[in-house]
Amino acid sequence: MEDNSEKPKGISRRKFLGAAGAAGAAAATAGFAWPLLKNESTYSASSNESLGYNFRGKHQAGVTAPRMPAGLVAGLDVRVDDKRELEQLFVRLSESIELLMSGARYEDRSGGFPPADTGLNDRADGYVPPWVVLSVGDSLFDSRFGLASLKPRELQPMPKFNNDYMVKPATSHGDLSVAIGGVTHESVIHGFRQLMRSVRGSVIPKWTRSGFNSIRPDIKPGIAPGRNLMGFKDGTANPDPQSDSSMNEIVWVQPNDLQPEWALGGTYLAVRVIRMMVEFWDRTRLNEQEELIGRSRDSGAPLGMKKETDEPRFTSFESHIARANPRTSGSEENLMLRNGFNYADGLDGNDQMDQGLVFLSYQRSLEKGFITVQRRLDGEALEEYIRPLGGGFFFVLPGPGQGSDPLGASLLA
Amino acid sequence: MKSFNGPKVGGLLVALTLVFAACGSDDSSSSGSGSSTGISASELVQETDNALIEDAVDGYRAYIGEQIAAMQAETAIFADAIRAGDAEAAAAAYPISRRPWERIEPIAGLIEDIDGAVDAREDDFDGPMDPTFTGWHKLEYFLWEAGDLSEAGPFADQLEADLQTFADALPGLELPPGVLTVGAQELIEEVAAPDGKLSGEEDRYSGTDLYDFKANVEGAEALIELLTPALESADHDLLDAIEASFDELNNQLAQFGSFADGYVHYDEVTEDQRSELAAALGELAESLSMLNGTLGLE
Repeated sequence: MEDNSEKPKGISRRKFLGAAGAAGAAAATAGFAWPLLKNESTYSASSNESLGYNFRGKHQAGVTAPRMPAGLVAGLDVRVDDKRELEQLFVRLSESIELLMSGARYEDRSGGFPPADTGLNDRADGYVPPWVVLSVGDSLFDSRFGLASLKPRELQPMPKFNNDYMVKPATSHGDLSVAIGGVTHESVIHGFRQLMRSVRGSVIPKWTRSGFNSIRPDIKPGIAPGRNLMGFKDGTANPDPQSDSSMNEIVWVQPNDLQPEWALGGTYLAVRVIRMMVEFWDRTRLNEQEELIGRSRDSGAPLGMKKETDEPRFTSFESHIARANPRTSGSEENLMLRNGFNYADGLDGNDQMDQGLVFLSYQRSLEKGFITVQRRLDGEALEEYIRPLGGGFFFVLPGPGQGSDPLGASLLA
Repeated sequence: MKSFNGPKVGGLLVALTLVFAACGSDDSSSSGSGSSTGISASELVQETDNALIEDAVDGYRAYIGEQIAAMQAETAIFADAIRAGDAEAAAAAYPISRRPWERIEPIAGLIEDIDGAVDAREDDFDGPMDPTFTGWHKLEYFLWEAGDLSEAGPFADQLEADLQTFADALPGLELPPGVLTVGAQELIEEVAAPDGKLSGEEDRYSGTDLYDFKANVEGAEALIELLTPALESADHDLLDAIEASFDELNNQLAQFGSFADGYVHYDEVTEDQRSELAAALGELAESLSMLNGTLGLE
């Protein structure tokens, strides 16, 4: 249900510009003004061009997309019988994702059929196509499809870390994962529903989490785009996803990484659903909160510094930010690109709020990236206030290239 | 690897949108509807010029007649056992007596108040002993939960009387073609509904949900069989997909028993097995949702 006043359009090949200078970039894209970035209250769809993401390319565009106001991640199990059916599944998923990300219209059907879309994708309602990132999990490389020898070298089930006693199998892992980000929650829900209906019966959704981000209007690298639900700025030190050199250094698997060749252009994804004990947190002294995190709550400045952008100089390595990124010689190889979201999912069985962070990090090496960072975080004082609940490790498939290949073509070739 | 330049979204696997609009949820529907199933005839086109569909409608009218006859006969056995205070015989007859009802459940919405009278759950009332809570599930409650049939007799009488009302309404019943297409889908949506069989909510005291489940599937299969001539010319691929989905679902159900040998208590169906059933149901429902449009109905 795109804007019916416009003719169906071809798929936009324009790359959606990302977080760096995103205000201008987003506005420049096809004449579209993103109210959240432009700090404008009106939506303008003056362009004749279809706004969307380029599905085609060396990498999946969603990995380096700007932080989005709405997000969803899901673990999925496949229930196809052999490699040929798995290929067909990837074709269907890819068709569905390309159509979704392109912003192109869904087919018109007569009223005797169910509509081909959810109805949540009307441009007049402020719909902007979401991005989707498709990843594969460790279990896809078991004996079912003969892919064991092709498993990315570091792909493994997420181990139990120090504070992981509430992590449950039912909310962890999956043969596949999809992450979706969008300007509105409806756009993300539209995306997930379209995706699942395109593969119904062949894929079982195992777990999902969805959530939100507030995004400040003057977003730029070096300052956090928003806050986590502990009320602290989150993402200050995130690398710039628009810097190809940074992304090649930190995110994308490179030819000398000793990975299977098909994996070039992909990246490792770590997903962690981390509940925060928000009632407890809200009762915690501000001094304690700031020492646990290592930043001033309000300004985001590292403790002892003045501004958020000041480089921390750690005298101890107890705080969360010091453990996560000690800024020591060599620790730059543990950098990763984070692009998660906050979540709030009602109450638990004890009338306490189930709120927290859906942490997503992309890294060229799982060992050097998330695993090393988490090992440093293991035992941190902040653990008293957080409980990981689930997630998993996945490998983000390389982009589908410029031809007509689906996602996963290099893996299943 | 298959080319990626195939038709966009055209395939039969991309249809969803559960047709809740076709449920008996308008103002004329019964209060205390047990399962929110049934089709509102006003929603569906009344005519078709496709003779194959007309034949199917005639065939379905006959099928409904057979099922109602079976329902009355099997329910008489159940009601007699209740009135006689024979709990063992009543428990055995309970799931059997429900099968014909479950096979033709979508047409319940065409007859006012019948679903709420015979197939409501206690959730729609002030608890299970609310005197306005009637039907199979009331008797199920007496049998499995209360363990006392001393007050159950009048409810057995009432069930038989309500089913007689249902049977009496049949000859005058309008059967628009959409009852067949949407009905087949409805039967499967009914299984998958959060208060349906898949969740174990339907037969919560007895755990006999798999009987209802199988009967819903049989009812949908009967409809597809009747529509097969029309579907063969309209979209053979869709027919093939539907039949393959039925095969898979029936294979899964067979691991839990059969009508002849009995089905296991629904509690014995594990989370993983329910997940597999849900996937098979979902795939089938996607295909069935394309039936109506494929056959040129509005």
